[in-house]
Amino acid sequence: MKTYSVFPIQFTLNGEETRLEVGARETALYVIRERLSLKGTKEGCGMGECGACTIVVDGKSVNACLMAAPQLDGRKVMTVEGLGNEENLHPLQKALLDHHGVQCGFCTPGLLMSAQALIGETPRPTHQQVVESISGNLCRCTGYQQIVTAIEDGTKKTGGED
Amino acid sequence: MTHPAYAKPETLDEALLFLKNYGAHMCPLAGGTDVMVNLRSGKLKTPYLLDVSRLPDLQGIAVSEEGLSVGAGTTINEIYASPLVAKHAPSLIKSCAFFGSPQIRNVATMGGNVGNASPSADTAPPLLVHGTKAILAGERGKRTVAVEDLFVGPYQSGIRSHELLLRFILKPAGAGFSDFQKIGRRKSLAISRMSMAVLADREKDGSFASIRLALGSGTPTPMRMGRVESFLVGKRPDPQTLEAGARLMAAEMIRVTGIRPSTVYKEKAIQGLFLRIMGPLAEN
Repeated sequence: MKTYSVFPIQFTLNGEETRLEVGARETALYVIRERLSLKGTKEGCGMGECGACTIVVDGKSVNACLMAAPQLDGRKVMTVEGLGNEENLHPLQKALLDHHGVQCGFCTPGLLMSAQALIGETPRPTHQQVVESISGNLCRCTGYQQIVTAIEDGTKKTGGED
Repeated sequence: MTHPAYAKPETLDEALLFLKNYGAHMCPLAGGTDVMVNLRSGKLKTPYLLDVSRLPDLQGIAVSEEGLSVGAGTTINEIYASPLVAKHAPSLIKSCAFFGSPQIRNVATMGGNVGNASPSADTAPPLLVHGTKAILAGERGKRTVAVEDLFVGPYQSGIRSHELLLRFILKPAGAGFSDFQKIGRRKSLAISRMSMAVLADREKDGSFASIRLALGSGTPTPMRMGRVESFLVGKRPDPQTLEAGARLMAAEMIRVTGIRPSTVYKEKAIQGLFLRIMGPLAEN
């Protein structure tokens, strides 16, 4: 069996086919943020504790800082850039603004990705499911109440599109 | 910082051949939740990462005449969502419910949790009370060992360098009482300060026909509390018996671990945790 110092990968990133060569020591976070320059995905702790780097991989929330970049091969990946943009915010993003769920904003992309993974599996989540879905995302500003309210409101407005 | 080379076997034979040649110089990679952290910190230095995350032989949950079989590569979230595990090993389900965070549970595997051999591995106490056997594949064929034998010391695994952990076989729980509880500093993402699992069957008069108890994080390796089990068998869970059982749990932990700075806390915590987990059975 062949071993690779750099491994060629091909994956779908926010709907676009992406090819590059990565080392086993590189993380998905490093590749997305530094090599592909998608700066929405944040590095907080770098060890899977804070959730700031959360992305959606094949429909599931994952800490990008803990994922070896070669494991992106063949996957369907979504980052916050795939959710909406300044002119056309996703209902979850709009709800976070409306309910003051954003203060410094560092945790926001990760929270959005956890919420996105949740509504992909459960389009109409309960309060408890919303709380559980973001239990791996730390926010040091808001105290979470506004975030939970926003996600609950946002999921009502996604119209079952996910 | 080391830059390991990457290898991704498509078949078990490919993986075993790699292990035969490079077993002493590699680290298996599945969910990465321990490996990537240890690579980053410099604690793990390895020339090769062997990515076993997509090996079909390590996947799947099934019931056979052997028992409940759970693949080593099964994620914590897959175990949590499995109706078969819910039916046959409810305490394992509970340990998965409070494991890490949703993001960790989506990728972390039970093989990794056992293979890392942390004293606080959350799946260990449930696996111990289910009399779990681990099946390992190596160059000379398969080997079956009791799962406690894979916990040799803190972060020291009994898996040999040329071996790969394939799956776990749990003895299914009967209709008896079963639970897992842990104490952490907070609910999510907390390393267990202490964890406990129980599996018990009772006679018609309420006395214990059999009971298995396992402790995590209280001893250098997760372990069955055999002396407490022997003490409880044949007795009913009245307050005096449970209080005595709790004191014996603490005494056993101290006998194995010795007195440490944390003992002043853990001696009380283990008794509280025991009384809490046995609470639903307590007679007035």
